[in-house]
Parts: sequence; structure tokens; C-alpha cells
Amino acid sequence: MNVSNETTAKKQSGQLKGYLLLIIMVFISWGIFKLITPNNFGSAQNMLSYFEASLLAAVGAVGFYFVMVMGMFDFSIGANIMLSAIVGCVFANRLGMGYAGLIIGAIVTGSVVGLLNGLFYIKLRIPSMIVTTGLALIYESIANYIAGGVEQTLPSGLRAFGQMPGNIILAIIAFAIAYLLLNYTKIGTYTYAIGSNEFVAKNMGIKVNKYKILAFIISGAFFGIMAILTISYGSSMVAVTGMASMTRNFVPTMGCFFGLAFKKYGMPIPAIVIGEFVINIIFFGFIALGAPTAIQDVITGFALLIIVMLTTKVAKGEIVK
Amino acid sequence: MNNIRLEIKNVSKNFGITKALQSVSFNINRGEIHALIGENGSGKSTLTNSLAGIYQKDNGTFILDGKEINPVNQVEANNEGISIIVQELGTLDGLTVAENIFLGHEDRFVKIGIKNTSAMNRRAGELLAEYGFDRIKPSDMIENYNFEDRKLVEIVKATYFDPKIVVIDETTTALSREGREELYKQMNNIRDKGNTVIFISHDLPEVLKMSDTITILRDGVYIDTIKSADIDEDGLKKLMVGRDVTGKYYRSDYDEEISNEIVLKVQDVSVPGLISHISFDLHKGEILGFGGLSESGMHEIGKVCFGASYDREGSVSLADGTNINDIPTAISHSIAYTSKDRDNESLVMNQSIRDNICLPSLDELSNKACLLNDKKLKEFADKYAKQMSTKMQSVNQFVSNLSGGNKQKVVLARWIGKDSDILVLDSPTRGIDIKVKQDIYQLMDKMRKSGKSIIMISEELMELIGMCDRIIIMKDGKINGELKRSKAMDENSLISKMV
Repeated sequence: MNVSNETTAKKQSGQLKGYLLLIIMVFISWGIFKLITPNNFGSAQNMLSYFEASLLAAVGAVGFYFVMVMGMFDFSIGANIMLSAIVGCVFANRLGMGYAGLIIGAIVTGSVVGLLNGLFYIKLRIPSMIVTTGLALIYESIANYIAGGVEQTLPSGLRAFGQMPGNIILAIIAFAIAYLLLNYTKIGTYTYAIGSNEFVAKNMGIKVNKYKILAFIISGAFFGIMAILTISYGSSMVAVTGMASMTRNFVPTMGCFFGLAFKKYGMPIPAIVIGEFVINIIFFGFIALGAPTAIQDVITGFALLIIVMLTTKVAKGEIVK
Repeated sequence: MNNIRLEIKNVSKNFGITKALQSVSFNINRGEIHALIGENGSGKSTLTNSLAGIYQKDNGTFILDGKEINPVNQVEANNEGISIIVQELGTLDGLTVAENIFLGHEDRFVKIGIKNTSAMNRRAGELLAEYGFDRIKPSDMIENYNFEDRKLVEIVKATYFDPKIVVIDETTTALSREGREELYKQMNNIRDKGNTVIFISHDLPEVLKMSDTITILRDGVYIDTIKSADIDEDGLKKLMVGRDVTGKYYRSDYDEEISNEIVLKVQDVSVPGLISHISFDLHKGEILGFGGLSESGMHEIGKVCFGASYDREGSVSLADGTNINDIPTAISHSIAYTSKDRDNESLVMNQSIRDNICLPSLDELSNKACLLNDKKLKEFADKYAKQMSTKMQSVNQFVSNLSGGNKQKVVLARWIGKDSDILVLDSPTRGIDIKVKQDIYQLMDKMRKSGKSIIMISEELMELIGMCDRIIIMKDGKINGELKRSKAMDENSLISKMV
């Protein structure tokens, strides 16, 4: 067997293991709820809708992955989605730009939010968590101002991305772009290089600050696409304030953890997509059970911690921060 | 024809109030291996790091082939024809072998923004094959390889583009005998092509064997440039230290009986994939050496004795029967350990010298109310840092700003301050200059005489022969022989059991 075949085989066997683990997780989470509540959970039709719902967060998570791999964080995810969705809706509806307005408005807004996050983080030299928390408050207020305190509704004729096949097509395009950026551009290589050792990366001539800002822009743009899917799926968006948008942070972030955990298998993007599906199966399972929200949150939280713990498998002695 | 490749003119560099380089000027020729030697902190790495774009010099000029250069990072230096292999790891986790080799130079594989990964892997595979490193696969993640193999990848990365000057900064001490031979081969290749190697090493016999010309720096000042053929080891020592290095270097005794008192007992210890069924005793007042090839498992022995080895089977116990299964137990029972990988495993890089030295002794340094006194900590750190002749502004200086050798002195100062009875020293003189090496050997001898026991793990066969009462040779994770101290012992008797 020649060198190239040997390494390809090794890589494929790693990926196969990763896919197998994820599929097992899908079956276990489905099986548990199916056993408890067989009648109103887990039919083929149900599973398809859970998958469609999971695409929303998966799209945001694949973009956010660029930021997290570099060791940064973003607490303005929810505010970004909200602001981008509202701007997209205003462009499409109030300005009469239709689908072009929805797409351009949301993605450009998401990217600008990402650019601001990156610029403030680099220029102020403040940890990304703190910068984005502060900025989230500002984005919420801007969204509220644009919406005029009124719920923004997307007309029924502009909701193609809220259902099949529009949502699937948009999500696949987003995943393909993320995959391409990560594996077939310098951005992907530099993302991993900066995440591994910023000092060495800098010495290799990589403009670390530029690529950090770029990571935030990419992440923001993907949250813009998530905003299109979100408002198309839910038909409207309310501009909340007082950090209430943070509830939207959780699901994309958890999906991103799946990506980080499965990075070693060389398949972060599929892991994010399937991971979000698992999260949604658990979420809809609880709805089918009629469990109180507090209990749902407790069990979901624990279930996700267990999943990440089992899949991450940190080597003994390895430092976890 | 003018044979000068690099003119270094009045180069100066300060770190705060420390004058790392003071108006250094000398020339380096084409087609030569030019060694740069000096004590720790003499400015060798600062000079080459400035040349390679890692640091920015404050004053002076580098003139390469008649043209002034001012690289601001390694890629710019590469583009000027200068590359560097650093002392510690210079490859990045999360990237493949091929991505590491071409990091910063991906553009040759990029068309309309898309990277041609298979072309990059193919080219990296060709290069690895040319160097004879076929077993390293270009598409494998770099973290799948050990320190030594990663250094080999660095050699390829630094030399594949035929640079005019390759800086090799204290790399040989990180390599096994085979790795060194490979590096020597590459150094000779570079010279034979008419290019230049700037070679930094503390191993003076190696410097004399490999280099054509030697430049000596002392305390950031240029001392002299001489032909290797015109000087011997003692002459170099004198130029480095500024006076004759007299007195004994290694131990001179050969007939001392080892005490029968066992202080540490290692029984049937195995660590999956690293060592298998290892048993030995350490006696009071003994220096027990471990030698072998880098991957023989000898470095794991140090971790085992310090309770730092994972998935260990078998037992490690003290004379009183206490089992050493974890690091806190080892430290509380007076066991000290210095790792070969000092930057990652021994030092807290973003902390001060004071904090690093005081770290294991905080219980002893705190008062009855468990409060720490700043003055007491400073005095404690100062005392032991000075005892080890650490070159520093003060103990408040960050460890990350120290040279490699001075970092090692801080590690040793920590355990001397702790007054440990059993010292496990893995590669204690790695990257340490001749004068401090001598100090360390004398310190070990003094400790031995005062009843302390030492395990010395080293790839330097001469220091094992010179310092140890017994030497255990490891091969493929097992003990392959034991030799007792004698005048007749030489390197060949050890090598025959190593390979």
C-alpha cells in the first residue's frame, strides 16, 4: 500500500468512527424518548421536522466554529440573530426588496456585527467574552429601535426558507461554504494555526489580528443566514432587550462544542450538523413528554454535558480550560 | 571574490533594562558552518532571532549578500533566504504535517482563493521522501508524532527552499543520537551547496567537530571569531567564561561504596506503550543514571518516580513503605523532578521567577495564619536564584523572558530551595552552558555526599559516565543492562547496550 493510500485509509477510519458515534447518539436519544412516549414522538415525519429545525442552529454553529477554534467566544449570538432578522425583514418588507432584501439585509448585518465584535476585541484588547457581552446590549437596543418596539413579521410570500426545500438548500450552501473555507482556503489553515499557538503563528507571518477579525465576520455572516432561516421558520421576530436575546446563544454554542469534540476525527462540520440534530431530538422529546420547562432545561443541560464528556475523551494529564 | 554572506554591524537589542546585545559586529561567510557560542544569556538566540524576524533589533544592520535586510517575521526572513530551527517546538497542533511545512507559504498551492490540498500533500510527501523521512505522512495531523519526529519536520520546513542561511538554535540537545546524525547530515548538505549554517550549541566537542568558524559572545558583547581548527575545548571555555575554567568537572572518585540503605524502590513497573516490567532500587547518597535512545522509555522513568505517569502498573515506594502514586505525595515526601520539556512541564511561563521558585515551598513559607509574606518570598527566591547564578534583572522578572539555560536554573533553584532528599533530574543540563554545567555537577556531587539521592536521566553519555554510581541502559521500554562506575567505562560500552 503506498503512503497516500495508507493515510487516506487511516483518515477514513477515523471519520467512520466519528460518524458511527454520532449515529449511535441519534439512535440512543431517539430510542429513549420513543420508548417513553411512543405515540407522539419520533415518527419518520417527526424526525424530518426535528432535522429541519436543527438546521437553523447548525448553520450558525458552523460559522461560530471559526471563532471558537481560535480560542475566542461570542456572547452576542442571540442579539446578532435578532438584529439581522429584523433588518432582513425590514429590507424585504418595508423597503419592498423581497428575497434579495431578506438575504442581503440579514447577511450584511450579521457580517457588520461580526466586524464590530472583532474590531472592538482587537482594538480594546479586552477578552472577547466581555466585549461581546457589552456589544450584545447595544445590538439589542438597535434592533429594538429599528423595529420600533413592534414585532416584525415576514410576509407569507417570503417564507420559502422556512420550509422544504428552501431551508435545506440554504443550509447546504452554508455548510458547503464553511467546509470550503475550513479545508480549502488559507483561512482554515490559519484558523487552526492561531488556535494552536498564536505566537508561533505570528512568527510565521500570519496577520493574527486580521484573521481574528475575519473569523468574527465569517461567524457573523453565518448568524445572518441563521437569522434568515429563523425568521422564515418562525415567521416573526420580537426585538427583546435586557440581554434576553442570550437565550438564543445556547443551541449554536452546544453544536459548536460537538464540532470541537469531533475535530480529532477530521469531521467538525458534519459533527455540528448531526450534533444539533441530537440536541433537537432531546428538545422535542421533552416537549412530547410535556415536561415542565425547568425540568427540560436541567435534563437537557446534563444530557449535553454527558455527550460532550463522552465524545471529547481528554487524554490523561491533558489540561482542560 | 568577496566570500561574505552576512555582515552584522553594530546590532543592539535591549529587553527593558537588560542589554541583550551591545553593538555586536562580525561577518559570516558563504559555504561554512559558523558556530555561535557563549554562556546562557550571552545573546546568541537574541541575535539569531533578530536575524530571523522573531525579534526586532533596536539598532544596527544585517547585510545579506550586500543588501540590508529587516525581516519583521519568519516568513519575511524566509523570503530573504533565512530560516531558523528553534530550540523548543516550532510546529503547530491542529495542522497536518504538510500544512506545517508550508505554513505562511501556502500561496503557491492557492488558485482563486482555493487551496489545492492534494498538491500540497504531494509536494510535502516528495520532500519528506527526499530527506529520507518517508515514515512521516504529509496528511497526518502533526500531533500524532513525537517531539523528535516533529523536529525532523522542522528541519524539512527550514531547509527545503534552499535558504542562504539556516540558523540551528540549540536543537541537537532535543534530538536522539539518530536525530543528531540526521541533522549533521543536513548541515553538511547546506554547506556543500555553498550556503551557510549558523549553529548554536553548548556542546563544545560537537561545535569543534561540526563547525568551520566559531564566534563567541559574552554578556551580549562580541568577543572573537576564530577558525575551529585553531582552538581546542579549553580555549573555547576560556573565551566563553572570560577566565580559565579550572577545577574538576565530573566526579573524580571511583571507589566509593554505595550505601545499602534503599530510599526508593521501583517494582515491576509498566506503562502501556512506554515501559515494561521495570524494577530497580535507589540507594541513599547514590547517583543512579538512566541512558538510552530518546524513545527507549527512559524519560518515562522520571515521571514514574514522581507519581506523574498515567496508567502505571507496579509499585513505586519509599523506604518507609509509602507508595508514590501521585505528585502531591511525591513532593510531600521530599521527591523533586525536573522534566526534559521544561517550558511545558516544569515552568509556569507567564509568572515571575519568584513565583516559580517558591511554588512547591509555599506551605513552608506561609505563616501560622496561612498568609504569605511578600518580602519572605522574595528573599527565598533571590537566595536560590543567585545560588544558581541565574542571569536576571530581579526575581520579579517573568520566566518567559529568560534564555533557555536560565529557565533551567530556575527549575533547579526551585528544588534546591525545597531541600528535597530524592531528585529526579531528566536532562538537567539540556541547553546549559559549560560554566553552569560544572556548577550543576558539583552541586550534584555535594548533594550526594550529604546523603541525598539522585536519578539522572540523560542522553549525554559523557555526563552519565562522569557523574553516576550506576547506569541503567534502557532499550525498547526495558532495562537492557546495568553498568557500575569505573574508570574503564567509555561511551562504546553504553552504546553497545543502547542500540
